[in-house]
Amino acid sequence: MRPEEKTSYKDKEITMPAMPAVEVSSPRISMSRAGMREAIVKRTGPMAVPRRRKSASKDSEIIERLKNGEQEALEIVFNLYSRKLYSVAHRILGEAADTEEVIQDVFWTVYRKAKSFKGDSQLSTWLYRLTVNAALGRVRRSKKKKEVEYEEFLPKFQEDGHHRVRPVVDWSDTLDEKYAQREIQALVGKALDQLKPIDKSIMVLSDLEGLSDKEISAAMNLTVSAVKTRLHRARLFLRGNLAVQLGHSAA
Amino acid sequence: MPLAKRTSRPNVNDSCKKITDLIFNYLTDRLTPAVRREFERHLRICPDCVNFLNTYKKTISLTGSLVIREMPRNVRATVLAFLRQKPHRIVVLFFSLLAQATL
Repeated sequence: MRPEEKTSYKDKEITMPAMPAVEVSSPRISMSRAGMREAIVKRTGPMAVPRRRKSASKDSEIIERLKNGEQEALEIVFNLYSRKLYSVAHRILGEAADTEEVIQDVFWTVYRKAKSFKGDSQLSTWLYRLTVNAALGRVRRSKKKKEVEYEEFLPKFQEDGHHRVRPVVDWSDTLDEKYAQREIQALVGKALDQLKPIDKSIMVLSDLEGLSDKEISAAMNLTVSAVKTRLHRARLFLRGNLAVQLGHSAA
Repeated sequence: MPLAKRTSRPNVNDSCKKITDLIFNYLTDRLTPAVRREFERHLRICPDCVNFLNTYKKTISLTGSLVIREMPRNVRATVLAFLRQKPHRIVVLFFSLLAQATL
């Protein structure tokens, strides 16, 4: 295929739709997985995605019951969140055995420390924080993997700021045609596993769990700015890593 | 809308590097209207940046579509059993310590 065809604007929604006015100070639009995927598929412009439902009153009721030491409240929290937290921990750790221990630690901590939960964050944010902390703690204690240099997979630019390798290949449309879903999952999983644990945690919370930058900042004890910077860099790395795995240049 | 040609070169002032740095805020609607207009103007003349943006967005959607690892039933049962026992043990420990202290 000639580059002209590959990079043609034909069939692409390059004409940007009239976007609604957005105030700079407006809060970030939280990305649910389904909403984000739909937005990405359908639009070329900024993603418009629904905000996740919050249930602060329900949270406070459960927390009160936890503070009173109610076993039933602990099981309610377990039933509500264990599936999500298991998935997060498993993505960070990659080891099933460790994941079980992490989940056990998390809910045991919930039971013991419920009284110290001040309610300045949502219950879910607290649970994510406990899970990520427990998972990262285990990663730190485990045998260190050789870290991949990000630089190798980040975009490169000429001195005047233009892409160094041209044309930049758009593999977004052809990926699903060329590879089976299982293969794609393996490619993405492999790329994700090469991220630094802290960046992988941020990416899992953002792009898998749909947490906002602010929620991730609270869950990981990082500034919102640090979350944004790390997330963008992690996505650039992942994009480059996938491009290389697909036989293209990362740049 | 005229189609961009491969031979067209974007203005040096709005470089691809700058566009790449702005992608994150563009996708979350956090660019000022003026910057967003510039961003989109660059996209109209730079196929490389369009392709880069498409693959960046695809990367996000691919990560989001990763299959959720389900908690195995036996793990769920084990953790639940642990949580049901542990509080009980703490209560027993508390009362046994209390009993020792009062003796």
